[in-house]
Amino acid sequence: MSASGDRRRASLASRGMQFAFVVILVGVWYLGTTYGGISPILLPNPVAVYHELMDVLATGEYVSDLRITLMELVTAFSISSTVGVTLGYLISRSQYSIRVFEPLFAGMYSVPVILFLPLYILFFGLGPASKIALGVTTSFFPIILNTIAGFGYVDRIFVLSARSMGASEFQLFRWVLLPAALPIILTGLRIGFTVALLSILGSETIASLAGLGHRIVQLGEGMDTARMFAYIAFVVVIALILNMAVSTLEARAKRP
Amino acid sequence: MTMEPGTVPAPPNRTAWQRIKKWFLARPWAARLVVILMLFIAWEIAARFFVDKIFLSPPSIVFTSLHTVFETNGVPRALEISASEILVAFLMSVAIGLIVGLGVGLNRFSHRSFMPIILLLYGTPQITILPLFILYFGIGPASKIAFGVSHGIFPIIVTIVAGVQNIKPILITSAKSMGASRWHIFRWVIFPHMIPSFFAGMRLGMTGVLLGVLLAELYVSTAGIGYFTSLFTQSFNPTKLLGLISVLAAMAIGLNEIVRRAELHYSRWRMN
Amino acid sequence: MNDIAVKVRNVSHQFGEQGESLHVRALLDTSLDIARGELLCLIGPSGCGKSTLLNVIGGLLEPTTGTVHVGNTQVKGPLPQQVAYVFQENALFPWSTVIENVKLGMMFQGVARTEREPRARKSLTAVGLADFADHYPGQLSGGMRQRAALARALSLETEIILMDEPFGALDEQTRMVLGEDLSALLSQTGKTIIFVTHSLGEAVFLADRVAVFSARPGTIKEIIAVEEPHPRKPAFMTSEKFTLLRNQLYSLLHDEIRKAVMQSTASERAAASGRGTGKGAPS
Repeated sequence: MSASGDRRRASLASRGMQFAFVVILVGVWYLGTTYGGISPILLPNPVAVYHELMDVLATGEYVSDLRITLMELVTAFSISSTVGVTLGYLISRSQYSIRVFEPLFAGMYSVPVILFLPLYILFFGLGPASKIALGVTTSFFPIILNTIAGFGYVDRIFVLSARSMGASEFQLFRWVLLPAALPIILTGLRIGFTVALLSILGSETIASLAGLGHRIVQLGEGMDTARMFAYIAFVVVIALILNMAVSTLEARAKRP
Repeated sequence: MTMEPGTVPAPPNRTAWQRIKKWFLARPWAARLVVILMLFIAWEIAARFFVDKIFLSPPSIVFTSLHTVFETNGVPRALEISASEILVAFLMSVAIGLIVGLGVGLNRFSHRSFMPIILLLYGTPQITILPLFILYFGIGPASKIAFGVSHGIFPIIVTIVAGVQNIKPILITSAKSMGASRWHIFRWVIFPHMIPSFFAGMRLGMTGVLLGVLLAELYVSTAGIGYFTSLFTQSFNPTKLLGLISVLAAMAIGLNEIVRRAELHYSRWRMN
Repeated sequence: MNDIAVKVRNVSHQFGEQGESLHVRALLDTSLDIARGELLCLIGPSGCGKSTLLNVIGGLLEPTTGTVHVGNTQVKGPLPQQVAYVFQENALFPWSTVIENVKLGMMFQGVARTEREPRARKSLTAVGLADFADHYPGQLSGGMRQRAALARALSLETEIILMDEPFGALDEQTRMVLGEDLSALLSQTGKTIIFVTHSLGEAVFLADRVAVFSARPGTIKEIIAVEEPHPRKPAFMTSEKFTLLRNQLYSLLHDEIRKAVMQSTASERAAASGRGTGKGAPS
């Protein structure tokens, strides 16, 4: 049929456009740095970046920084998820407390949480604690808001039905509230994880002694731009992998 | 039990406590104020009695000493600079976002080709390339504006594209059937339809710009507010630091609120 | 005598307080005796309090005044051992399969684990859903979902089943089939069923007695007896007796329905003007 043939041709054309876009970009980059006389400190040669990246991977230089960043991430997320879900559940138990607390938490969204970073640095110093503190603060809000939404807006008919069959409070929670709320809570957890990662990388960039964000800054200040690019690429890929992993977990847990 | 037909017995009389409780029950905002008040009290007590003075300052001192923050040499100028960085970055983001958003959204081919690239860029952690921005744009306002724009354009582009794409085809068909030209269709069908999304995008864009500018300021700053947050942090002056942060937070909330109100105002037809 | 399954005495119920914007007098001094093994229909215009009465009988709502006795116990809360509920809206848990839903109900009630599976299978077969035990509610049609809800209620082996417009969301044809099946089931199990409905035909076809409600504040206007043995045959629907009874119901209800419609447009007008001046009913 010509309709599907048209469609195939159209998507082929756009694929071609994307491919051309990337090729041209990389091509200009390569040509500009190889023949264009751009200072390697400003813009390193892609080949050099590639070599640096291979070196970083081969020597395992990234391990210590990666370990620190991941530790900060896992700690921050564990804290914010346990506190957020528990507190969110407790708040969701009455419509009144939802109406009191939900706007409070939602209002915090207009404040850029990054502003708390200098405070945490003052309080905790330049070590991992301040990064964890910021990670917790950033991820807490989407988690608790989604938990409140998930538990608080369970269709009343399910609760009524379970109660009429004699369900105890615990049975109600375990077999009705929790499965009903789970999809929304999982989304909140995924969002929380993503923003925790971003804020931890951010705080490592701004003020830190270790971690992946810090490493990038350090290389930049040392004018080792090629290696810096390599680390940037590395961090972007790590972030991509982590986000995909979390999204897959979320999708899998949501399947009935 | 006999009763007058047509009546339902009245409830028993209330005690004072029950009346207070009922008053609060009808007004969640009052309870919220109480919660906020209690948080401030907790902050006050913690700062006065439990935490060393170099780490935390109680709100009573922070807010009565706000004027010292403004009197610190260079702070008002720094606030001006940062505010202008935010404004310029926001305006640029809107302009760029509008052009790119319309360009990608209106044309089926460019939508299919470039949208995946845009979404990919939107999803990458831009914080990793902050040092590059500084490298390219220097340590002055230019890098802050650039980083702000870099964060602000993506939500604007994405929401404008969505707003344009989401038009019910029947609206365009009916306009065409009445003889509308391409310009007419854009001006009178697509454009008004897109406005609520545009404002929603601007709201998200403002959040992004704030984030970008603040991140860049905190990273490196010679005369902007980042310089002073650094100064107050390193000199262990929690009073001034908390004061400055409160001012900045108020500014951010104010800006967000302005954009949010604008969005609500222009989205009235979408209310259902 | 043990013939009376449920005793309702002088039940009145209001929502909210006098003077509040949300004040509704739903039920007014209602009394009723429901015999063991009968199917009693509650019918009336919208807002007349029939669902409220059902919730009061089932212990899901505490009435402002009056008492309800199930057997010798006064109703003060849900009685899962004696009363099972079938709601109009789908109360099947969408995250569990049909048979899991049925077993969950039994778990809530306190049935021993080993008994749940066989009882579930039995009740699913009784409603004709044996082959769909492992489906999710989302995969079933509306009629099948209500059968599953009925199976869940049956598996609880309670003496009384309360049904709140269970077929309300279904199309005419499905309702007809389900009605016939329900009647057949009733004759086999001898349960006491209290059934709320809007449909005149459904009330006459299913009920042993029909209690007709007045408009809000609701009270029982009259009780009509339908003397026809269960299981009711399709032929009953076209009989002269059926038509007579149906007409009788119609004449009783017509004025009340009109009254109820007036009430609802009046309250909507009041709410709309309240919205304009900034006063609204608290949600």
